Amino acid sequence: MGFLKGTASYVRFAVEGELPENVWDFIADRVVSFAFRDIDDTYEEDSLGWVSVTNMFDTDFDYASYAAGNYVTLSMRLDERKVSGAIVKKFVQKEEERIKKEKQIPKIPRSMRVEIKERIQNELMRKALPLPSVYDLCWNLENSTLLFFSTSKKAQALLEDLFKESFGMTLVQQIPYLCGEHILDEDDADKLAQISPDIFV
Amino acid sequence: MDLVDLISEKRFIGQEFLTWLWWKSEERGGVVALPGEGDIVVVFEKHMLLEYGEGDSNESLICRGLQTELQEARTGLVMGKKLEQARIQLVYNDYEWNFTMAAALMEFRNVKLPKTAGDTGNGNDPEEREGMILERIFLIEELNRIVLELLRLFLTIRVGAEWREELQKVREWVARAERA
Repeated sequence: MGFLKGTASYVRFAVEGELPENVWDFIADRVVSFAFRDIDDTYEEDSLGWVSVTNMFDTDFDYASYAAGNYVTLSMRLDERKVSGAIVKKFVQKEEERIKKEKQIPKIPRSMRVEIKERIQNELMRKALPLPSVYDLCWNLENSTLLFFSTSKKAQALLEDLFKESFGMTLVQQIPYLCGEHILDEDDADKLAQISPDIFV
Repeated sequence: MDLVDLISEKRFIGQEFLTWLWWKSEERGGVVALPGEGDIVVVFEKHMLLEYGEGDSNESLICRGLQTELQEARTGLVMGKKLEQARIQLVYNDYEWNFTMAAALMEFRNVKLPKTAGDTGNGNDPEEREGMILERIFLIEELNRIVLELLRLFLTIRVGAEWREELQKVREWVARAERA
């Protein structure tokens, strides 16, 4: 959160791979191809894709609204249908009680219990409203770095996959050691690979 | 080496950097001379997290308080803990940032950007919107650039011949906390 407003939390990535010559055409095509698809009126469990950073309902990107100077600014939107374990447990028990009464049996066989649980889970999932999460990013085309505005490991893993799928390029998180490889000269970078922890007391 | 192994094996580099930066800022009362940029204000404040050990034996210590109350965190260093997170105030060229640095992965958390005149405006106008976005990007990238310059300063010393002497000074500073 916080790329455009308020306080921001982010991590830096290096973007590895080559962009084609017609960069902006390529990006326009890829962003629209992997734009977010709404699942409010379907039964799909989840959906992941790109939306505008200023409006999570904008998946048309009119006038290349993701372009700002030499930067690409996008949001990754994930909509997920979720049902809590406690709710599933409650409705499974309720259904088991109903069946026991209906069939006049003291206990439900294991195979049937598995079938009931699966059926109830599917029914509840279809009734659940998709929960949206939106994560901003800012991609610097000039120096091939990307800022991702979330420190959630799950969101970062989703981003790495979606980015690779969309643009065919790999994101590598810039931990201090990898930053060192970029900002030091070759000799010092080689020495950095050799050092071990020191004790400060 | 894959990234997961690299993160775990090189975790100490970020923590040593943050610990060194704390010493470096206190050495001159909150000012660090950055080659090519001049003096910048770097103040460690309010919140710190120190770590000791790895995996299951990992221990952490959280310290909160004003700058003068960070004695407990210094005592943590004496126990061999390393600084993993710190809240930092950074002032450069009339801009002031406040942010929490998580050292091992170099995460920037709760970054408060400098106040600018362009905070109000018409967000619906595409040109104004792009201007607003570019200003935010500039302020964030500027912070990244300065932190990377500080990291470069540390790493150049860390891999160089002068590290022994620098380390000695850091150890003396840590030892002063023990006596205090």
